[in-house]
Amino acid sequence: MFWHSFKYAFRALLKSKAMMFWTLIFPFILAILFNMAFARLHDFDVFEAFDVAVVDDENFRDSEIFKEAFKTLSEEGEEQLFVTQYVDSEKADQLLADEKVDGIVYIVDGEPHVKIKKNGTNQTVLTTAVEQIYQSSKMIEDIAGTKINEAVSEMSPEQLMRGEMPDVEKIYKDAVATVSEAEPNVKDDSRVMNMVVIEFYTLIAMACMQGSMLSSEMMDRCLPNITSRGKRVAVAPTRKGIVIASNLLASYSILLLSLIALIAFMRFVLGVEFGSNLGFIILLAAVGGLASTVMGMMLSIVLKTNNAAKNVIILIITMVGCLFAGMFGGNKGFFDNLSPIINKISPVGMITDGFYSLYYYADLARYFSNVYGLLIVAAIFMILSIRGLRRQRYDSI
Amino acid sequence: MKNVIEVKHLSKSYKSHKAVDDLSFEVKEGEILGLLGPNGSGKTTTMNCILALLKYNEGEIKIFGKEMSPSAYDIKSKIGVVFQDVAVFDELTVYGNIDYFCGLYIQDKTVRAEYVEDALKLVGLTENKNQYPKQLSGGLLRRLNIACGIAHKPKLIFLDEPTVAVDPQSRNNILEGIKKLRDSGATIIYTTHYMEEVEILCDRVIILDKGKIIASGTNDELKALAKIEEKVTIEVPELSPIQLSGFESIKNVSEVSYDNGVMKVVFNKGKNNLADMVDYLKDNKIQYSKIFAERPTLNDVFLELTGKELRD
Repeated sequence: MFWHSFKYAFRALLKSKAMMFWTLIFPFILAILFNMAFARLHDFDVFEAFDVAVVDDENFRDSEIFKEAFKTLSEEGEEQLFVTQYVDSEKADQLLADEKVDGIVYIVDGEPHVKIKKNGTNQTVLTTAVEQIYQSSKMIEDIAGTKINEAVSEMSPEQLMRGEMPDVEKIYKDAVATVSEAEPNVKDDSRVMNMVVIEFYTLIAMACMQGSMLSSEMMDRCLPNITSRGKRVAVAPTRKGIVIASNLLASYSILLLSLIALIAFMRFVLGVEFGSNLGFIILLAAVGGLASTVMGMMLSIVLKTNNAAKNVIILIITMVGCLFAGMFGGNKGFFDNLSPIINKISPVGMITDGFYSLYYYADLARYFSNVYGLLIVAAIFMILSIRGLRRQRYDSI
Repeated sequence: MKNVIEVKHLSKSYKSHKAVDDLSFEVKEGEILGLLGPNGSGKTTTMNCILALLKYNEGEIKIFGKEMSPSAYDIKSKIGVVFQDVAVFDELTVYGNIDYFCGLYIQDKTVRAEYVEDALKLVGLTENKNQYPKQLSGGLLRRLNIACGIAHKPKLIFLDEPTVAVDPQSRNNILEGIKKLRDSGATIIYTTHYMEEVEILCDRVIILDKGKIIASGTNDELKALAKIEEKVTIEVPELSPIQLSGFESIKNVSEVSYDNGVMKVVFNKGKNNLADMVDYLKDNKIQYSKIFAERPTLNDVFLELTGKELRD
């Protein structure tokens, strides 16, 4: 019965043009577009540093990491990204209005912000670079904080009583060195190329989220309060759990195959260098896709509305998650500070954080914490779904 | 004959609206029971309660002598349902759809293949089996909907308005199919708005209104409930207003209308109605070309019982 239901659910999904477009075709189109947009970055002979303005105020001067980063990225040479002008806020706005710079970077409360006038490759590179610097700074803080706590816990009570403290300066220097060494874990260590890779990571994370749509669509076909097909399934002598599990597996199988095809297409056709991370990327995509698929099922059960309204709600939830996770040119750090909890519990937040950690961190502790987090979230969604499904009879259908 | 369905004191409310109100009835093995009622009378709600799709407030429902519940899989395996809305997968072929739904009941692939072919034959879709639902006309789609509900050869079949919006040929095919199902021993609950279908198919009829049974019985028993005895149609080329008003004075006449040379007179129950009217025509020297009388139909009974005002 399970495989009978799985076979037809799989076949029906494969033949659903809308579902296959958003799951399979759309990410491929985006990958091709990304590749075209970043094509010139592959050819370093033609890449030219571009003009940016940095608002040189107290906030910027207090931010050692940004000061150092912009100094390095503006040094003349093969890896120069920016031609930086350090100016006040008014002058920066004037330069942007006159299109003499491609963007403005300014710091508020330790967080970087980018102001651009139009979209383009330089603007994308600037936004990504600033996000990268911010992520690095957060990571340095994380590592240093952990090391300081470890050092304090290793100190004896006598040492503490004497007021001895760990060597904070050395710990910070070590953390900076760790981050610098961690960067990057791919063959081509050009900064520009790494920014391209992270954009492709983001695309994989977004493709994972299509699992919600797939499973929601399949669930609606099993729920008698949504569709007549659901009613027909509900009056059959097959256990609801079997039909739902088979539909869920069909959705997940299609998603997984699409993700593997997408990653293979990026790697072998578009030539995106994932370095030694390929296995971890596939694992994270598989786990992220699972969490997304179960989330779609849970929402489909919990939301008592029609299929179209449900799809809109799922889309909004997914897109808000994507925005908070730093997609669509958003600043992940900004949203992390705005609402730290969202990125910690949303599947898309964990997927992107997992990919970021693959990129930024040398060890895999944070990567696996995201993998486990996604598995836990998937389990919670599954429990909520099962509880919802126990209400097998409805007040109204 | 055994009772296949027993419904006792069933009540179901949607907030303050009582959709089904203390309903009790039985369905005998091998019969076709017609469930009639205007829109919103509680037919589909009753059906959904019987099928354990809906929670109900009070009452008891037994099918094949056992209490019906969502997990009563042994009962469900003997039931087939054809819902009002077409419930098929657009992405599967006609054969795929029937095979999928039949497979939820029948696991043996060989038996299932045979059943699917039988269902295709029954509804006349054998030649369309490789087509997709979008390629089918409305009538063929309805027939596919039926095939998906009955392919597993159930002993009890619920048919919820299966002939809505279909062409006369498809409708005929569907009605013939239902007769074949009955002849093969199935018990059928049939809901419809088409009274002539009920007259052709149903052994017994229940008329619901506002969630209650307002009448039940065989076709003849229901017709006997009608206040009218007969409806007489007369072709009268010319008729003065005085002559017309004179018809109302004939004994037992309840309704008179005259339009375009055709006069319709409705008589309440009584003796010699037709003779009295012919006498009136002769006495008043009214010329007429044709005259014929009709007995009350189920439709007349239905309208008498449920009223003629429009429903949602």
